[in-house]
Amino acid sequence: MDIKAISAAQKYSAAIPAVTPDENASAFMKDIALDFADTLARGEHTAKDSMIGDADPHALVQALAQTELVVETAVAVRNKVVEAYQEILRMPV
Amino acid sequence: MSDFSKALDVSSSGLRAQANRLRHLSENISNADTPGYRRKLVSFQTAFSLGDAPAEVKTGRVHLDQSELEKVYDPAHPLADDTGQYDGSNVNLLIELADAKEAQRSYEANLKMFEQTRKMSSGLLDLLRR
Repeated sequence: MDIKAISAAQKYSAAIPAVTPDENASAFMKDIALDFADTLARGEHTAKDSMIGDADPHALVQALAQTELVVETAVAVRNKVVEAYQEILRMPV
Repeated sequence: MSDFSKALDVSSSGLRAQANRLRHLSENISNADTPGYRRKLVSFQTAFSLGDAPAEVKTGRVHLDQSELEKVYDPAHPLADDTGQYDGSNVNLLIELADAKEAQRSYEANLKMFEQTRKMSSGLLDLLRR
């Protein structure tokens, strides 16, 4: 019984680093978010330009396709994160 | 930048180049009856790219076709010389139309690549949705 308790404590301390937040990861996510916002802003800018008649339609189509790709990626990643969070919430304690 | 967005960049540079070519072709066709007009020739070249940057295409400098101008006989024309002839343009409508068809085909090929890239990237994202 004693030995089991010790090994459980050891397992717990071994698992701690896996669940502590990583400093680098947050910087990485920040970069991704900034890139996302940048692409979105560029798409909007090109759309505005082409409505005034400034940009050529190819640039518009390209920028919008890029934006669509980025938004879809962001939505897919967000859904995955929310799903993982809900999975944790459903965990029997 | 991912390979998908690079592929999109290259495809849209191809689209732009073909549109530019079509523009010069239509200039040639609309000036077919202009006296002394020399048809414009568009050349394609790879845009300067460094390292891993995609090799985009662009249209180079426009050249004028130096072949002989067509002689048109019309003594009543203000430009006519002593023999009653004046220099027409050297535009051959048949060549221009064939060139336009080729531009259309290349444009379609680039469009197809654009579509293909989008399809592949959204297929990849579909994996995440499951």
